Amino acid sequence: MKRSFAILVLFMFVFAGVSFAGAAPDKIVIGHPACLSGKYAKAGEQAVGGIKACVDWVNNFNGGVKIGGKKVPLEYKYYDCESKKEAVTSLIGRLITVDKVDVVFAPYSSGLTLRGAPVAESHQMLYMDHGGANNKIFRQGFRSIVQTIGPATSYHMGTLDMIHQIDPDAKKVALAYEDSEFAKMVMEGAKDHAKALGFQVVFERTYPKGVTDLTPLLSALKASKPDFVLGGGHFEDGQLFNRQMADLNINVNALSLIAAATLPAFYKALTTMAEGVMGPSHWEYGVKYSGEEAQATGLPWIGPSQEEFLELFKKATGEDMLPDYHAAEAGAQVLAYVLGAQGADSVDSKKVRDVLGELQFMSFYGGWDVDDSGMQVGHTMVDVQWQDGTRVIVWPEEAQTGKVCYPMPTFQEKVKGAKAVPK
Amino acid sequence: MKQLPKYLPLAPVFAAYVVMFLIAENMEGMWQLMSMLLFYCALGQAFNVFMGMTGYVDFGYVAFLGMGTYGMALSITRLVQYEFLGVWIIVIGFALAMVMSTLLSMAVGAVALRLRGAYFAIATIGVNEGFRFLIEGARIWNGSEGMIFTADLNTILGREAAAALCTYWADIMVLVIAALAASVTLFYMRTKVGYALTALREDEDAAKVMGINVTKFKIIAFITSASLAGLLGATAWALKTPYVFPPEVFEIHYTIEAIIIAMLGGAGTLLGPVVGGLVYGLSKYYLSIFLPGFQLLIFAPVILVIIVLFPEGIVGMLKARTKGTGVERFIV
Amino acid sequence: MFFEQLGGNLIQGVVLGAVYGMATMGLSLIFGVLKVVNVGHGAFIMVGAFVTLFLFSSLGISPIIAVPVAFMVGMGLGLIFYYTTIRKLIKAPELATLLATFSMGVLLEELVKLVFGSEFRGYNWEVGKIDLGITVLPMAKLYACAGSILIAVLLFLWFKKTRAGSAVRSVVEDSEGARVCGINVGGAYALSFSLGIGLTVASGVLLTMFIPVGINPYMGGGYTLKAFVIAVLGGLSSPYGAFFGGLVFGLIENGSYTLFAYIPGVEPFALTRFLSFVILLVILLIRPTGILSAK
Repeated sequence: MKRSFAILVLFMFVFAGVSFAGAAPDKIVIGHPACLSGKYAKAGEQAVGGIKACVDWVNNFNGGVKIGGKKVPLEYKYYDCESKKEAVTSLIGRLITVDKVDVVFAPYSSGLTLRGAPVAESHQMLYMDHGGANNKIFRQGFRSIVQTIGPATSYHMGTLDMIHQIDPDAKKVALAYEDSEFAKMVMEGAKDHAKALGFQVVFERTYPKGVTDLTPLLSALKASKPDFVLGGGHFEDGQLFNRQMADLNINVNALSLIAAATLPAFYKALTTMAEGVMGPSHWEYGVKYSGEEAQATGLPWIGPSQEEFLELFKKATGEDMLPDYHAAEAGAQVLAYVLGAQGADSVDSKKVRDVLGELQFMSFYGGWDVDDSGMQVGHTMVDVQWQDGTRVIVWPEEAQTGKVCYPMPTFQEKVKGAKAVPK
Repeated sequence: MKQLPKYLPLAPVFAAYVVMFLIAENMEGMWQLMSMLLFYCALGQAFNVFMGMTGYVDFGYVAFLGMGTYGMALSITRLVQYEFLGVWIIVIGFALAMVMSTLLSMAVGAVALRLRGAYFAIATIGVNEGFRFLIEGARIWNGSEGMIFTADLNTILGREAAAALCTYWADIMVLVIAALAASVTLFYMRTKVGYALTALREDEDAAKVMGINVTKFKIIAFITSASLAGLLGATAWALKTPYVFPPEVFEIHYTIEAIIIAMLGGAGTLLGPVVGGLVYGLSKYYLSIFLPGFQLLIFAPVILVIIVLFPEGIVGMLKARTKGTGVERFIV
Repeated sequence: MFFEQLGGNLIQGVVLGAVYGMATMGLSLIFGVLKVVNVGHGAFIMVGAFVTLFLFSSLGISPIIAVPVAFMVGMGLGLIFYYTTIRKLIKAPELATLLATFSMGVLLEELVKLVFGSEFRGYNWEVGKIDLGITVLPMAKLYACAGSILIAVLLFLWFKKTRAGSAVRSVVEDSEGARVCGINVGGAYALSFSLGIGLTVASGVLLTMFIPVGINPYMGGGYTLKAFVIAVLGGLSSPYGAFFGGLVFGLIENGSYTLFAYIPGVEPFALTRFLSFVILLVILLIRPTGILSAK
C-alpha cells in the first residue's frame, strides 16, 4: 500500500511541476502544435521556419507589436504534434492554459486543423489556419478561425484560365487526382471551372493514397488522348505521376500537378523529366509583391521584402534552403496577426478576430483578405513552370517572371536533354 | 457482499482514473493532457480484453474504432434533419457505433478466428486495409471525402452544448469506457470465460481436448473487445474530432499503439493497460515538448529493450515481485 | 481498345510482379525458418532505396552495382538485429516479435531521416525504352525484372547445392530433428534472418529501378502491406512461393483496373486494392499454404 501511495504522490508532483509557468505581461505569444515529425514533417519544418523568420522580422525590424502605445515583443512557442490528432488537442490545451499564448496557429492539414478547432473555440482563442485548405472547415460555424492558405477549390483555376487564354485549340482535359479529402476538393473546383470555360473533361479518375504504381491509371489516361492533364495530391505521388507519364511516353501540351511540382525536390528527383511541368502554388520565391505594388493597389504593406524573408528564413532554419509556400503562408500569418492585434490595440482574441475580419493587406506573400466565415479570399495563387531547372512564375500575367513554355517538350525530347524554354 | 473481494483488484484501476479525473478537473491546463492519457488507457484496456486473454494479436483492431466513428458520424449527419430527435441522435449514434463494430467483429471473427498466430495477425491487417479501400473505392459513406459535422452538431445541440460535448463530455465518456473495459476484463477473469481463455492461451489444442468450447469463448472476448473499440471511436474520434476521413480512422498506427500499451503495462493483466497507457502517453507528451521531432527515435530502441528484457511488462513484473505480500490481491 | 489496354497492363504486371515477388522473398524466408513476421519489412526496402540513391547521386555508381552492395548492407543489419533482439525472442509469443520487428522498422526510418532528412528524393537513370505498341517499357524496369529472376534462381541454387542451404532447409522441416543431427540450429537462424534482410534490402534497389522517385524514410509502409498479401499468395513460408505470388499479384493489380473501370460511380484504383485484400482473406481461409502448394 505504501508503495502505491508513494507512486500516487509522485504522479501529483509530475503534474504539478508542469503548471507553474506564469504569463509575463510584456510579450505576445504565438502558440503552434507544429508537425515536425510524422507524415507532414516536411511541410511542418517549413512552416516553423517561416514563422520564426517573420517573428524575427517583427521583433528586430519592426521593434515589436505596437499595443497600448508601446512596442511589445512577439514570442513563438511550438511543440511537435507528430502529425497526430491525439497530440494536437493535448498540445493546444497546454498552449492555451499553461503557456497562456495569445493566439494558436493550426497544425498542417485540414484534418488536424479541424481536430484542434473545438478546443480553441471553447477557450475563445483565436485560431489561425495556414495549412488546412478544405473549404468545409469554414462551413462549420467556427467563430474564431481565420485562414491564410487559400481554399482547395481554387488550386487549378489559374491553370485552366491560362490555357483557355493561350491555346484556343485545347479542348480535352484529363483529371487524375489522389483520393483524399483535399485533392478531391481541388478536383471538384477544377472540374467545375473547366466546364465553365468550355473544356471537355475526357478523363476523371482518382488513385488511392500511398500508391506505388500508377501504370494502369495512366495507360487509361493515355487512351483518352487529352490535350493537357491536371492532377496530383501530395509529394510522393506527384513525383510518381510525372515519372510514369515519362515512362509511358504520354505526351501532352501541359501537365500541372498540385503540391509536389513546385518543390525544389521535385526537379532534383526528376531532373529533365520535370522540364515544362507546372504546378499551382500559394507563393513562390520570385513573386513580385512589393511595397510599391501594394501602394498601387491601395493595400497597406507590412513585413519583410522577399529577399529579407529569404535571409531570415535561412537564419531561422540554419540551412541553405529556399522557403516554399508552406513557409510563406505561415510567415504571412504572423504578419496578419500583428496587424490584427495592432488594429484592435489588444490581444483579446475576440477583438483581434473582428479586426482580422475587416483587414486587407499585402505582404511578400501577396494579398490577404478573409470573408465572414474566416475563409481566405484575398490571396491569388500563382502557376509555376520548370524551365531549364528553375521555377518560373508564368501565371497570372501581373505576377509572372517569364513567359510560359507551351506546349512543353515531349518526353522523348526531354531524354535527349530538351529544355522547356518559351518561344 | 461475498462477491466483493473478488472484485477488489478494480480498486487501484478506478483509483487511478479518479485521480486522473481530479487532476484534470482541478489543475489548470491538465484537461487535454488527461484526455489524451485516458484515450490511451481506454484503448489499451479495450484491446487487452481480447489480446491479453487469448494471446491473439489483432493487427486490424483500429477498424473497430473506425466503425464506431462511422456509426456516430452517420447518425449525426443523416439524422440531423429530424429535429425532434434532439440529443437522442447522439444516443442513436452510440447504439449504431456498437452495432456496426459488433457486426464487423462477427464477420471478422467468423473468418479470421479460425486462424492462429501470424496468420491471424495478417488476416486482420487484410480486413482493416481491405475495408478502407472498399469504402474509398465503392464510394460508401461519401468515400474518401468523408464527413465533417461540427455544423450538424451545432444544429442538433446548440453551439454551447456542442462545444461542451466536444471538449468536456466526450472525455468523460472516454473515462467511462475505460472503466467499463476494466470491469469487463475483471468480470471475464473471474468467470468461466477467463478460465477457458487462459487454458486456450497456454495451449489451444489441449484446451480443445479437455472439452472446452474454445471458439465460443474466443468469439465472446473478440466481440466484447470490438464493441468497446466502437464506443471509443464514437467518443474519442467522432465526438471529440468532428470529422471522419477513411485513411485516418483505419490508420494502422493506432493498433500498434494499443499493442505497445498492452506490452508495456503487461499483456493480460488488469492494471497493465492503465500503467502502459500512462507511461506511453506521458513519455510521448514530454518528449514532444522537450525534444520535438525525436520522440520516435528515442522510443523505438526503448521498446526493443523492454521487449527483450521485460517481456512481462511493468505490471507483470510487479505481480511477480509482490507475490506473497498483502498487495498481491490488488495487482491482477 | 479494351484488350489493348488489358494486354498492356498485363505486360506491365508481369514485369512489376517479378520485382514484387523478389521484394517478398526475404519476408517469406524469415517466416519460414524463424516463424517471425517481419512487420518492419518496408523499412528495409527503404534502406535499399537509400543505398541506391546515395551510390548513384553522390558517387555516380550504377544501380546494378548497388544490388550486391545493398545485399551486404542488409546482411549486416540482419546480423545486428538478430543478435541483439530476435535471438532472444524466438520462443516468445507473436506479440513480442511483431512489436520488435515493427520497432526495428521505426528505428531505421528515424535514423535515415536523421541522416538524409524527410525530403522526397529520386534519381534519373536513363537507359532507354522499348515501345511495344500497346505499352512502353523502360529498360530500367526490364533490368529490375531480370535482376529479380536472377536472384530468385541464385537463391534456389544456394538452397539446393550448398551445405549451408541444406542445413537451413532441414531446420525448416524439423528444427528439433536438425538439432539432433548436429546441425547448428542457432547458426541457421542467424544466417536465414540476415539472408532474408539482405534480400529485402537488395530488393529495395530493384524497386527503385522500377520507380526511381518518391524515395523518403517513410516510403516502406505500402510495400509491407503488399508483401503480406504476396507472401500469403505464395504460402507465407516459401521464398519461391513468394516469387510466384508476386507475379500473380502484379497481374491482378494491373489487370483488374481495366475491368473495374467499367463499373460506373466507383474509384477503380481503390477497388484493385480492395480486391487484393479479399484475395488475401480467401486464400488464408481455404488454403493457408498458398495457391501454389501441391496439397
